[in-house]
Formats: sequence, C-alpha cells, structure tokens
Amino acid sequence: MKPILIAGIGNVLRGDDGFGPLAVQTLAARHNFGPEIEIADLGTPGLELAGFLSCRRAVLLIDCICAEEPAGTTRIFNREDILAQQVPARSGSHEPSIAEALFALQLAGCAPAIVTLIGVAGHSFKFGDAMSDALLRAVDPTMELACDWLAQLKDTLPLN
Amino acid sequence: MKQRITIDPITRIEGHLRVDVQLDGGAVSDAWVSATMFRGLETILRGRDPREAWLIAQRICGVCTTVHAIASVRAVEDALKLPIPPNAQFIRNLILILHALRDHAVHFYQLSALDWVDVEQAAKADPARAASLSESHASWTRNSSTEMRAARNRLAAHLTSGQMGLFANGYWGHPQMHLEPAASLAILSHYMQAFEFHRKASQVVAMLGGKTPHIQNLTVGGVANAINLDGESALGMESLESMRALIDEVTEFIREVYFADACLVAGSYPEWFDIGKGMDLYLSVPDLPNGSAANGFDLPGGSIHGFDAAPHSVPHSQASFQDAVSEDTVHAYYHGADALPPWRGETIPELATWDEEKKYSWVKAARYHGQPAEVGPLAAVLIGYDQGHALTRKWTSIALERVSSVAGRRIGLSHLRSTMGRHLARAIRAAMLAELASKHWRRLFENLSRGDVATHNEPHMPTGEIRGVGLHEAPRGALSHWVVIDKGMTRNYQAVVPSTWNASPRDKSGVRGPYEEALVGTPIADPERPLEVLRTIHSFDPCMACACHAFDAAGRPITTVKVL
Repeated sequence: MKPILIAGIGNVLRGDDGFGPLAVQTLAARHNFGPEIEIADLGTPGLELAGFLSCRRAVLLIDCICAEEPAGTTRIFNREDILAQQVPARSGSHEPSIAEALFALQLAGCAPAIVTLIGVAGHSFKFGDAMSDALLRAVDPTMELACDWLAQLKDTLPLN
Repeated sequence: MKQRITIDPITRIEGHLRVDVQLDGGAVSDAWVSATMFRGLETILRGRDPREAWLIAQRICGVCTTVHAIASVRAVEDALKLPIPPNAQFIRNLILILHALRDHAVHFYQLSALDWVDVEQAAKADPARAASLSESHASWTRNSSTEMRAARNRLAAHLTSGQMGLFANGYWGHPQMHLEPAASLAILSHYMQAFEFHRKASQVVAMLGGKTPHIQNLTVGGVANAINLDGESALGMESLESMRALIDEVTEFIREVYFADACLVAGSYPEWFDIGKGMDLYLSVPDLPNGSAANGFDLPGGSIHGFDAAPHSVPHSQASFQDAVSEDTVHAYYHGADALPPWRGETIPELATWDEEKKYSWVKAARYHGQPAEVGPLAAVLIGYDQGHALTRKWTSIALERVSSVAGRRIGLSHLRSTMGRHLARAIRAAMLAELASKHWRRLFENLSRGDVATHNEPHMPTGEIRGVGLHEAPRGALSHWVVIDKGMTRNYQAVVPSTWNASPRDKSGVRGPYEEALVGTPIADPERPLEVLRTIHSFDPCMACACHAFDAAGRPITTVKVL
C-alpha cells in the first residue's frame, strides 16, 4: 500500500467526464514518481472508492465537476469542502459520492490525513462524446496543480 | 385506505432508481420500478473492432468492470468458436471470484446492513456482550471486547459530531429495527474492518488483471499475462504464493465475518423470510469453466419453473438460453413495441413523461420464454440445490441450520424465496466462491508446474456474419452480452444485465417485473418512513449504473418520500 495516491475519477465513455482518467495517465507518462506514490485511474467506483482510499496518508483526486464557470476552469476543494458536500457533483453515475466514502473511512478510523480534490468544470457528459477542447486545454494547468500539491505535501508530511 | 408513496431516489444503491408503491390496508398492493437513466453502450460499440469491445464494455459501470469485460470477451469467443487455454480459464476464474467476493461483502456491509442495524442503538451497546455474541458465532481474532469498544467509541464520536454523513438518511428508531444492540455493534465493527478485506481482494484482482478497477489482461482467445515461474516481474512462483496468502485471508473474512453476520441478521429477523417472495421463475447461467469443455463448469446454471408446485430444474444449454431471451419496450422509454431477441435488439430512446399506464422506465423488460425471471444469488442457490450440486447443498445446509438456531424456529429451503432469503443466498454463494478460489488457484498452480504455459489462442475473423453470446453468472446474477459481427466489425451489440431482469418494468401483457412483484404484499408500518420497501429492493442488490445510465444532474439528489 503506497501512502500517497493521485487518482483520476470519471467515465471515459462520457465526454468530459473522462478528464480525471486522462489527467492521471498524462501525469504518469510525464513524470517519474517515487515508490511512495501511486497513480491510479479509478473510473467510477461508487462506494468501492472507500476501499481504494483507505489507510493512505494523502490523497489527491482529479474529477470533472458541474460548475457555473466556463468549461476547463479548475477549482481546488479540501476535505472540509468535500465533507460539507460543497463539490458540485455532475452526475449520478458514481453516487454514492466521494463525501460518503470519506465519511465511511473516518468512521472506520482509516481516512487519509490529507484529501484534496481538483475539480475541473465540464461541458458535455453525453455517452460516446469526445472530450471538449476546453477540457483538453485544462490538462497542463491540472498537471501543474498536481505537482504543486505534491511539492507542498513533501514539505509538510514526513513520509516515514 | 389507499395511499401512493413515491421514493426517488432509493438510497444506498449503485445508480439511480425510483419506486412507486400503492398502499392498501397497511401493505403494498401494487408497485412500479423506474430507472431514470439511459445507457448508450451499444451505440458506442457499433462499427468498432470486436476484439476491443471488452475494454470499452467494462467502462459501462465502475463497480462491475471485470464482469462486463469477461462477458464481452466470451461473446466474441463464442462467435468465433474459439476455445481458450486452461491457464486463461483459471486466471479469469480467479479474477471473477475475487471480484464477486469483494462485491458481496461491500453490498452486505455498506449498502444493506443499515436496513437492519440501528446505529443509534449500536452506539449504546455493551462491547463485552458484542464480543461474546460474535465469538459464539465465529472464530475471528478481531472480535475482542477491545475491538468492539473502539468501534463503539468511533461510532459515538461520529454521531455526536453533527456530521451525520452516511447515517443521514437512516430510519433509526423505526419500529421494524429490532436487532439486539450488541449484534448491531458487532456488525458495525465488521463494517469498519471490511475496508481492509476490500484491499486484499482487490490486490489479487490487480495482480492478475494488471490493475483494478478495469483489468487489462484479457484478450479475445485468452489472457495476456506473461508467465515465468522463476521470474519476479511476470506471473511466477513468488506472485502465486503471495496470491495464495491473500486468498486465505479473504476466505477467512468471508466465512468467519460476512457469512456469520449474514446468518446472525437473518436469524434475528425471521419474519423477513415470509416477505418479498417475488416471481416463481428463476434463472442462472453456468460459470467457472473447469479447464476443458469435457470438465464442464464448477457452478451449475439453469432455470426453475413453477417452484410452488414442485421444483423442476432445467439445466439449459447455451443454445436454448439464446432462443429463450427477449426484451420488450412497451413500458420502457424506447422506440418499438415488439419483444426482440437481443441480437436484433434496438436501443432507440423515446422520451416520454412518467406514466404507469404507458412508459415509465429506462430499463427494458427482459423475458425468458416470455416470462419475467428473477436472477441473482437466490436463483443460483435454488437451481444449484435442486440439481444436487454438492457445494451449494453444503453451504445452504450450514446457513439454514445456523439461522434456524438463532431464530429458534425452523427456516427451510422454501423460506429462501424472500427478502431475507436473498441476503442469505448471497452469503451462501460467497462461502462457495471462497472455497472455489482455493481450488482454481491450485488448478492454475498445478497446470503451470506441469510446464503448460499457454495463455492464448489466436483469433481469426471470418469475412461473413457471425453471432455470439457471452454468459457470466455475475454477483448480481445472469449477465449476457450479445454480439453480431460482420466483416470483422461489430454490427450489433446488446448487454442484458442482471438488473435488467430484476428491475424490469411491466411487459406488453402488463406482467410485473421481479422487484415490483416482490414488493406486493409487503407490510408498511409507517408510510412516511418506508424502510420495508428499501429492505426488499436492497435484497436484490440493485446496480442501476449499467442497467441504464445517468443523466447529468447539478447538485446532489436528495431522496424525497412523497405520500399522496
């Protein structure tokens, strides 16, 4: 079990919803990460998400959200935002949500100490659609946010 | 007095489901089950190379990824009449089993336990009593009173934190919640421990499948695992040994924790063996091929008609199964009215407003010889038992004996046809599958040790039209993928998933689907808090994400219970 997880969430068959998986695949292709970091495409795991997050030290999730902002806008949510259900989830396909998975892990005493979510505003979630250009352009800024998160994490979290 | 209740959506399921029930004299007199989503997988697969269909099909649902991958690859192999080597069978079987074990335990603890366990009572329970109760049912190192006290403290802290989270929609203090507080605490402590079990089961799937979710090791004709018994990077002795250790740990959790808890809950609510009976036609498909066609399958399939008269089980061949399945869209939001066999199936949406007399669901009405059929662990257990399948009989007998002893009354095979029977049947299947995990691990190990390292037979696409069906007895029941291939391209594709059978709406003759039928007769104590409806629907383990698919919704859906 690697202590740090960077995971993409979303359905690659549904247009912009595939952003999370695409972002983590790009991240893995561009960087060499140490043995303490796992990069994962989790798809739309429903409540099974809890099992993938349990007993990690820190988790970064990348997901597409339904927001007022123009498509491709990135927003960062922390654990409190997620638990207070301030993340504008954009579909019912992976309910129960990230918030419920975190509640379950807190109850079980194995929730990650640090949880951050990069939410990228999506435009179209139709089955069979390609990803919109605005979302493709959001890949690079998301990579930077993920690398910043990791750099900050290494300053604050002793890994042994 | 007649009353109408609408519950939208049903909570703690995967996906989105609406249920409308008619109440008459305190019990359900009629029911309509609507899936409010549309799935478009078939449209995506048309015109593509059938060899990549499994990779796309497994993305249909994030929960049952491996299930659709396997059914899809089997459909194309059936069309090509392409056998796969024994190693490929054993590797696929291990993936299927570990996936199913994880799925069943997640369903019991995370999706359905809260229908029977009152968390507020559990937070006040005596940890020593919870420990002795658990220890009397099972041998599990983490049943100590220290563990139970820690679980109770975490639970109490969670309840007083003001963030109800998971427990926000529970019917705590409902008159139908009567499980002993100590038993509730024991089950919630296992709920917390289940995350570790989940990780171990997933690890085996990832070791064989390359990753999880979404395994990467399949290929039409077998598997793409690299095998080198002495190597560290390929599938070899070292990884096989660590896999065996994980399988042993998973098996222990299934037997000593999940199976024991399922028997405890079932025995504590014996009245639920008389509620939620449902259809009298059950359907399952054979699974876990045992190395070669001559060796058959480790799990039998078939159908039982007219169970009430005398159980009469028909072990169908694949050909008779193919001819018996049709889907009707009279009450579903699709174009067309004829019941079509899946190979000729169409998926053309026809938007309409909810109307119980006309169209009211995005799920098609799947029919077997024109009749609605229940699929799932209950169907598989009844059919296996009737066919004299030794492993089914063994674990069914153990379960019924334990439940009868907790209940203080005789619970027999016919009681399984009920809401609680579906939960118990799921635990019976899990115990069977855990035993088969070790068997198939051994078969793989022995075959490799004999020097057979073949994993793949080369597929050759003919130029003409071919058809295939891929069957899999998935955690939620009989799954079939249907493919028509023409000039090497997919021309038609349909997936008839377990929740299409069970969540089916009425058909052209107005006959209800299994969820609807099972709800009829259910007593409802408090129409404002229809816990009993949730219990019966959850007993089927709905996974609507692949029976249909989500429309976008800004914000979280909040369950509304509307009583008219």
